[in-house]
Amino acid sequence: MDFSRRQLLAAGGSLGAAALLSACGGDGAAPAAGGSPRQGGTLRIGALGRPSAITRDPHGTQGNESDYLVIALVYDTLTAPGDKDNTVGRLASAFTPSKDLKTWRFTVAEGAAFHDGTPVTADDVVWSLRRLRGTPSGAARLPGVTADRITADGRRTVVLVSDYANAELPLLTRLTTFVLKKGTADKDIPGAPGTGPFKLDWYRDGNARLLRNAHWHGGAVHLDAGEVTMFQSPQAMANAMLSGQIDVASNVGAVAARTAKARQDIRIVRRPDDMAMPIVMRTSSGPFADPKVREAMKLLVDREAMVAQVLSGYGTVANDILGTGDPAYARDIPQRRRDLGAAKKLLTDAGFDLSRTYRLVTTEDVAGLAESATLFASQAREAGVKVEVVKQESGAFYQKTWLKGDFYTNYWGTNDSVVFFASKTLTTGAGQNEADWSDTAFDAAYRKVLATADRTARTAALRGLQRIEHERSGYLLWGMADGIDLAAPKVHGLPKLPGYGRVQLENVWLAP
Amino acid sequence: MLVVLLALVFAAIELLPGDAATATSERGEGAAGIAARRHLLGLDRPVWERFWDWITALPTGDLGTSARGERVGDLLAAPLPNTVLLGSTAFVLTVLGALALGIWAAARPKGLVDRAVDLTSTAAFALPEFVVAIGLLLVLSLWTGRLPAATVTGADGSPATWTMLVMPVLALTVPQTGWNTRIVRGALADQAATPHVEAARLDGLTTRQVLLRHALPGAWPAIATGVATSTGMLLGGTVVVETLFNYPGIGTVLAGAVADRDTPVIAAVVACSAALITVVLLLADLVRARTLGARA
Repeated sequence: MDFSRRQLLAAGGSLGAAALLSACGGDGAAPAAGGSPRQGGTLRIGALGRPSAITRDPHGTQGNESDYLVIALVYDTLTAPGDKDNTVGRLASAFTPSKDLKTWRFTVAEGAAFHDGTPVTADDVVWSLRRLRGTPSGAARLPGVTADRITADGRRTVVLVSDYANAELPLLTRLTTFVLKKGTADKDIPGAPGTGPFKLDWYRDGNARLLRNAHWHGGAVHLDAGEVTMFQSPQAMANAMLSGQIDVASNVGAVAARTAKARQDIRIVRRPDDMAMPIVMRTSSGPFADPKVREAMKLLVDREAMVAQVLSGYGTVANDILGTGDPAYARDIPQRRRDLGAAKKLLTDAGFDLSRTYRLVTTEDVAGLAESATLFASQAREAGVKVEVVKQESGAFYQKTWLKGDFYTNYWGTNDSVVFFASKTLTTGAGQNEADWSDTAFDAAYRKVLATADRTARTAALRGLQRIEHERSGYLLWGMADGIDLAAPKVHGLPKLPGYGRVQLENVWLAP
Repeated sequence: MLVVLLALVFAAIELLPGDAATATSERGEGAAGIAARRHLLGLDRPVWERFWDWITALPTGDLGTSARGERVGDLLAAPLPNTVLLGSTAFVLTVLGALALGIWAAARPKGLVDRAVDLTSTAAFALPEFVVAIGLLLVLSLWTGRLPAATVTGADGSPATWTMLVMPVLALTVPQTGWNTRIVRGALADQAATPHVEAARLDGLTTRQVLLRHALPGAWPAIATGVATSTGMLLGGTVVVETLFNYPGIGTVLAGAVADRDTPVIAAVVACSAALITVVLLLADLVRARTLGARA
């Protein structure tokens, strides 16, 4: 299994890197049935990774979950994904916009310090953000904010000036805005002190031991230590879990969950809205350019069957709107259901050529992806549409099909933000506009969202945006896959947030 | 020979779809970014030119730079000793096991033991490593909990306990022991038919003396060749076994490098394995030369 793309996307995107945290956001650690949090213990956690993709640079591309986990525990990002609010403070305790929503001021949290005791200054943050902006994908990570418009104002205030009004700018800083000490040399990066809840004890070939940072600005950390073991395959990781060698198997997938189901001593932790596997239809040309055809495709898919078979039931039905984990996700837009009669009528109205066979291109990059294409093809046949599934090797797919094809499957790990998808994949001319969609009403709705400071008004604008997306975008989003971790019963307070929310371990505690 | 082999490796990776720049790119990275990295990695130059640069640096011990910018030498420094430990342990066990079983079977041709060894060695050889590995995992770890299912490493990069080596070694040893037992047994049968062994038997020496002093020496060349062939198969098997048991060796590095189209890494692993196999074949030839030379 190649999980790296997913991560990649994550790193490039929003990800949440945020992973981090909720701590400030609070609430991650509602004491579960196990009683109140207890201090101490070492958590042994397994995460996927490949030796060839190992990286230690917090601003690089973290292709390995294991590296991402280690980096996210050692370093803080400015903000983090939250439960009720999509964006909560992390290293930044507050963030406030100017009236025109172009200038954002971030305040470094009181008491924030590096692991060696040095206090964090605005200069450190500025240096880190500029370094991040200077990476190959820097422009995608901090869009609209050039390096020279990241500045310090005094010891604790960082000022970001965007080229355009952007009410959602703090959302971007949940990404990979890991803060290092100003002037850290590239060669010193692997052991550089961070500001995170854990500090590095040792790191070796993808495996690491981390110790609690007793002085963490974000609050008390329960665990004494965390041991990260890198696994190459989900199967090996599940075996280690079943034989008691690790306490948590992070993001191990539905197959392992089925194996573990029979075991009383293993808990299956489901993180909803973890991954979207939409089918992308090209809107600018080709057989799916007619919105009626696209709607027909969205009507002929049997979403329940897709979730049951492709995801083994570990997922939920979706409604063709990306960003299902967003607190502002429009749940009130009626769920699209299978309606073969309506689908056939739309196809006839559109003059869709039913004698042709349409190629649906897919990859085996993540579990279930190719299966989703195959199952969709058989459902389409029931509506008289002939679909041939073509599997492409990952490299070829990204070179030849992604962003270019008429009809292909795709996947995204950043599902906690409607705006993220809008800005990256749906607005006219967006760099990753996978369906080559251009809709003036949608673009206007998007601009309105970004330029609206008032929260209630913005939520209303966001709803309008989702309505257009639901109605006519090039995405057929049939369902959302759960993220699945396996955990020993003694582990409490595991993160539940989607995507990269899963690496927030400071609230985890072990029962005796 | 080795140069030709490595040239083929470069050519083969060139034929795979995609290249290292796209395989290691971020999804958000634009075409310009990928083109820039392709240039940085030298992928815009003809494959023979890249091969020439790599192969001419090889004698100086420079294995090149990976697609992610790591020195390939550094990348292999930690996993290589682990794989050598795994492979050589399996190799030694295979040789000892095959000799013991082959000789035991040859002691009474067509006897019960002979037939049983014949059957089991064929069956063992027919089993791929991953089938053996999964069987071992189920029985020794998941059902009975006697051995750890996966390898976890400590601060020094080697397996945390020796028990983590047991199943990977066994998974490699079982099929190869099957193969070599048949070779030992066959070579001994050939020797049994030779006049000097027959003479020794007629002289009334014990079966043990006949086998060890008279038949075995003549069988060495065939056994050495068979065992040497095992080296290649053992190394090939490590890719599968290391992944299944999460063993931190070069097999896993190779698997990832192929996915990344990381030519220098793949070529370096091939060069290391080829060098190792060449040394073992050379040793086998020496055994042959010595035995046959002594006879001549």
